[in-house]
Amino acid sequence: MGESQAYRKRCELFMKKNKKVRSIIFYVIMFGLSLIWLYPYAWMVLASLKPASEIYTRTIPTHLTLKSYSFILSVGDEMGFPFVRGLLNSIFISVVITLSVIITSAIVGYAVAKVRFSGAKALFNFVIYQMLFPGFMFTVPLYIVIRGFGLLDTYSAMILPGLMSAWGVFMFSQSFKSIPDDYIEAAKMDGANFFWIVFNIMVPLSKSTTAIVTIFTFMGVWDNFLWPLIVMQNHSKMPLAVLLAMFNHSYGIYVGPLLAGSVIQTIPMVIIFIIFRKYFLQGISMSFK
Amino acid sequence: MKNGIRTLKRIENIKGWLLSLPYWIFASIFFGYAFIWLVLLAMSKWNFITPRKMIWLKNFIHVFQDPMFWTVTWNTTRFMLYYIPSVLVLSLALAIALSKAKHFGAFFAMSFLVANVSSGVAYSIVFSKIFSSTGPINNFLYDTFGVVIPWFTDPTWAMLSIVIIVLWKFVGYYALIFLAGLQAIPKELYEAADLDGATKWTKFFRITLPLLNPSFVMIIVLAIGLSFGIFTEPFMITGGGPLNTTQTFMLTIYTTAFEKYKAGYAAAWSIVAAAMSFSIIWVSRKLIERDVSFS
Repeated sequence: MGESQAYRKRCELFMKKNKKVRSIIFYVIMFGLSLIWLYPYAWMVLASLKPASEIYTRTIPTHLTLKSYSFILSVGDEMGFPFVRGLLNSIFISVVITLSVIITSAIVGYAVAKVRFSGAKALFNFVIYQMLFPGFMFTVPLYIVIRGFGLLDTYSAMILPGLMSAWGVFMFSQSFKSIPDDYIEAAKMDGANFFWIVFNIMVPLSKSTTAIVTIFTFMGVWDNFLWPLIVMQNHSKMPLAVLLAMFNHSYGIYVGPLLAGSVIQTIPMVIIFIIFRKYFLQGISMSFK
Repeated sequence: MKNGIRTLKRIENIKGWLLSLPYWIFASIFFGYAFIWLVLLAMSKWNFITPRKMIWLKNFIHVFQDPMFWTVTWNTTRFMLYYIPSVLVLSLALAIALSKAKHFGAFFAMSFLVANVSSGVAYSIVFSKIFSSTGPINNFLYDTFGVVIPWFTDPTWAMLSIVIIVLWKFVGYYALIFLAGLQAIPKELYEAADLDGATKWTKFFRITLPLLNPSFVMIIVLAIGLSFGIFTEPFMITGGGPLNTTQTFMLTIYTTAFEKYKAGYAAAWSIVAAAMSFSIIWVSRKLIERDVSFS
């Protein structure tokens, strides 16, 4: 007991004297953990470039090949899995919904924050109230609604329910509230109309909110899996995520092409993340998400 | 003059309603109308085709009599028991480490955060391959320890493995919530504590932990919501198996509605699941939420 205590004391002394050693250990651990966290990405990219027989057998492949990519992009098409089309579908759906959410959220957010009308408070409360409900509650009834409109298996089925967002309205209204009314009054004096005020004054003054809503909406739609899985049947209209899942279900043995598909599905998100990381961080530290 | 003001007010009023009209319409269809359908469905027996039949509360009685309900409840409980404590400890530790890192802080933060932007389907595929019986993790384990772990195929391991990959995805995200909380704590508090001769641990338990309360609450709320809504990972990797050990609420709602075509029964499941997640969130907020002020 006494001996171990003396040893601990000596250790502590040593550590104090050697702050440098401690900080080196700290950085080694942090780098190690960072690499562990990046490992799945690295493995995915490398494995998608390996010859099929080496995916599980060799860490470092004998040579790199794009076979998996050409397989999924051309042979996939012949097997009834049009991945290029899927990628374009994903881009189309995500861009349309994101644009719509930004435009509508800015307009409605302006109404909540800056127009003094009798429903402003009710609207704001309603938006907050809506955000309390978990999305999974609405999966089945939304399917019935879309089915009732005769929209199953159409692009509209994927796009319509996402056109507006309570969270987007909330974010914009919060940001607009902090902008002084003087800006609006001055613009009105100059004869600016309402839309000009919203999109040339309010939105540019809320740059980070706009960026945050854009990133999180785009990523949310890009990554949305359950909803398109339910409403879509036709492979040529499916977003990439669902097509990839279907391919995985039927042809799970084609590991290389599946990983190539995963890379294609992941890369746009990673690029957006790297470009807009500043806003991504801001979005996380804001209390409401 | 008075009349003029009144007209202006009226114009503002009309303007506000007109601008928000599209939102009211949208919300009344995709929220209000859908909500009415949810309630109606939950009290009906319907297979999407033959006429809908009102059976009132029978669906709910069936949910509680369904052994699957108790399996799923137990699975969700296990998920929360594994996930919430470990994600809190790991992300808090990471947040503290990030706040201490004088160099490479941005690189560390990005490495952990980039996991969060991976697409659900893609990362499920990647992890199912990495953890497969011939995958790199098991190759490594076999070469060094001579063991192979049946990550996703063994009833005792499967849920834990899903928790591990969800942890991978969310630790960085939650760490940044903690980091924002840490940065909001005034430095003077620590300086005052130093003057009183407080040790590192006293400062941690008396200042850091209590003042991080809002971050804790937020992360716990997010984590509980995730436990009830999780779908993509079990759907892609285990399909709810082995032996239903990774069946989740969302997975059961999906199969009930869209594979067994029991729309009403699935709606009742969603209401029960939502009610459960609400109550658990409410109870845990009651238990842990404290009024924190920095003064």
